[in-house]
Amino acid sequence: MRLAFDRSGGRETAALLFLKILFSFLLIATASAETIDRKSVWRIRFVPEASPRVLVTAPSSASLRPLRRVHWTPEQWQSLLSVHAEQGELTIDISLPPMAGEYRVEGDTLLFLPRFPFAPGVTYRATFHPSLIPGSREGASVLIGETFRVERRSAAPTSVTRVYPSADELPENLLKFYVQFSAPMSRGHIYEHIHLLDEQRKPVELPFLEIDEELWDVEMKRLTLFIDPGRIKRGVRPLEEVGPALEQGKHYSLVIDRGWHDAQGNSLSNSYEKNFSVGPPDRSPPDPKQWQIAAPSLAEGKTRLEVRFPDPMDHALALRLIRVERVQTSRRTPAALEGTAKLDDNERHWSFTPSQPWQRGTYQLVVPAIIEDLAGNNIGKPFEVDLFDTIQKRPTNAVTRLSFEVR
Amino acid sequence: MKRMQLALGTVLVAGALATSSALAAHWTEGMKEGKAEFKSMGPLAFGPEGILFVADTKAAAVVALATGDTKTAEAKAVKVEGINQKLAGILGTTADQILIDDMAVNPISHQTYLAVSRGRGPEAMPVLMRVKTDGTIEAVALEKMKFSRAELPDAPVDGVVGQGQRQSNPRRESITDVAFLEDRVMIAGLSNEEFASTLRAIPFPFKTVANGTSVEIYHGAHGRFETRAPVRTFVPFKVGNEAQLLAAYTCTPLVQFSVNALKPGAKLKGKTIAELGNRNRPIDMVVYHKDGKDFLLLANSSRGIMKIETDDIEKTGSIEAPVPDGGKKGLHYETIENWKGVSQLDLLDSTHALVLHQNEGGPLTLESLPLP
Repeated sequence: MRLAFDRSGGRETAALLFLKILFSFLLIATASAETIDRKSVWRIRFVPEASPRVLVTAPSSASLRPLRRVHWTPEQWQSLLSVHAEQGELTIDISLPPMAGEYRVEGDTLLFLPRFPFAPGVTYRATFHPSLIPGSREGASVLIGETFRVERRSAAPTSVTRVYPSADELPENLLKFYVQFSAPMSRGHIYEHIHLLDEQRKPVELPFLEIDEELWDVEMKRLTLFIDPGRIKRGVRPLEEVGPALEQGKHYSLVIDRGWHDAQGNSLSNSYEKNFSVGPPDRSPPDPKQWQIAAPSLAEGKTRLEVRFPDPMDHALALRLIRVERVQTSRRTPAALEGTAKLDDNERHWSFTPSQPWQRGTYQLVVPAIIEDLAGNNIGKPFEVDLFDTIQKRPTNAVTRLSFEVR
Repeated sequence: MKRMQLALGTVLVAGALATSSALAAHWTEGMKEGKAEFKSMGPLAFGPEGILFVADTKAAAVVALATGDTKTAEAKAVKVEGINQKLAGILGTTADQILIDDMAVNPISHQTYLAVSRGRGPEAMPVLMRVKTDGTIEAVALEKMKFSRAELPDAPVDGVVGQGQRQSNPRRESITDVAFLEDRVMIAGLSNEEFASTLRAIPFPFKTVANGTSVEIYHGAHGRFETRAPVRTFVPFKVGNEAQLLAAYTCTPLVQFSVNALKPGAKLKGKTIAELGNRNRPIDMVVYHKDGKDFLLLANSSRGIMKIETDDIEKTGSIEAPVPDGGKKGLHYETIENWKGVSQLDLLDSTHALVLHQNEGGPLTLESLPLP
């Protein structure tokens, strides 16, 4: 469509100019809905596909020819054709720079190749001033506009599927939660949507370690939420000033509110709540020698290796770190068996089914010392090392190996 | 981003310049020209000769970009209101889809570099943006830039290899801070699984295989309990001729230790010189020189900006006993009340800081402010 203003009235006041710009925006905003009734005029078309483009086609191939010879700065090209992402507020929109991109002239078409793709849910506005083409006979007031919008893909609503630890009672010095979502989430300002409420449904003040980096997995479906270590570690000021985030004997709710947007920009399907009580702090390092191993048995057709922990283990670390190796008679370095591991019974039961059948012989359960329980205690090393307590072992990077026989 | 101000004293300046000119020729050694690929852009830090270190957390790597931005220019006062909206305009999206993950000023040209995320989900595009001294903003073209890359040793891979459904390793190590000191890139990391501190020192120029040294850093609070708590942010500075690191821990103590003590596999114990206390989240630190003294400026989520004399750091003894409520044992600091809502801090020049700030209801603003 074509918009024309009469500039013959001489010097415009700022207010008038603003009104004109406003008017032009309003007209442009409706441009896509109007029928283009003059086939011979300039036309703007958005192409959102793999290599996004904005095309301006000329009334004749000669119209754009002068542009092939110009050596313009990016600003000059942007004066000729600009593409803006609308912010939804006119006063902001008129002051923003246009999209970055490359300009080309091919035949009777002027192309704008945006450096960044068109994003779903955003309205784009192209504005073309044909009078700026050298030698153009178009009036200076002629303005061609077009708008375009990529609609958001509709997707099933995202929800919180699980929060670890699973148990209903957690230690006072709990170190972290893992929040698992059904689909990728969005980052930025996430802590506004995570609340720890006490028994009176009053928010606990700043219970979490809030860091800008936000601890996501690659898919952004799992968030790691550390309790502020200053509220756990003895002898530091936050704990002395305001006490622990979680207090023994009390009940709490971890609430993920539905206002949080997923990666598609949609709110969660519903809020999620994990209710739990708080038990005594756990300052004892996990000891694999206390673990009960139920070995698979060829004779009984039992294909699953099962390991029972006396206390729950950290979900992510237990699943990632514990491995099984076959004890080799040769000098070859043993490789971890491939298979499927599971963790259930409130993270106290680990089981493993290998992809290849077990063979008679000796295997080992290999447990790196950096595995953690719910309070961040490692094997042989508590979360905090008490320097006055000489009985405690010093840190180690070793692994613990527990042998079992498959018969 | 945090950077050591070279004007820490005449001796230091001379030393730094001598080092710089002797090494200038080889800083780009081993770099290749092309387009450095990024999965994400996180903490930024300038090194010598316009080389920008960009941490890519998703790829577990640090990329050194020879920006070519080496033309000396005076710093100018900067104020860009609504910078997130302006970035959105250039990147063709809406302001709510823009996250500024870090900011660094090139000490040579005084142009500002921003690590920007276009989008907030896993498909977000990382973009390096530049704010020129006149306040105009542009996307930095990476296509023909020289770069080199140091891959960080990723997760301890125990148990990951081929274990059925565990093939997709959800562990990631976020890079929380990067700094350049003499000939090393220092990198602080925080894992999304195990709770531990890793600080790596990687020699620069990067070798083909970057086997940085990783150390465990402990801090003792009140001399009794010690943990390997993660470091949130750190800044290199010098006491006399000795390079030091000042690290702010996630559990709020400020801890000092000597860079020379960073040896492979070392177990390092730092000196706790201050405790920020509850509701404090250290964001960024810079060191500067004013009125014959060296100062540390620390941006903090709750206390605004804290100004600390670095001479005091040397004199302060380690905090070995609990500080009673309201007590002022440890390092003395001054709170700069009128700097509010600061989310990024760097030095613009020897007299000005550059901050990204947003007051309640106000626009996100990039602004230069006189150093306090």
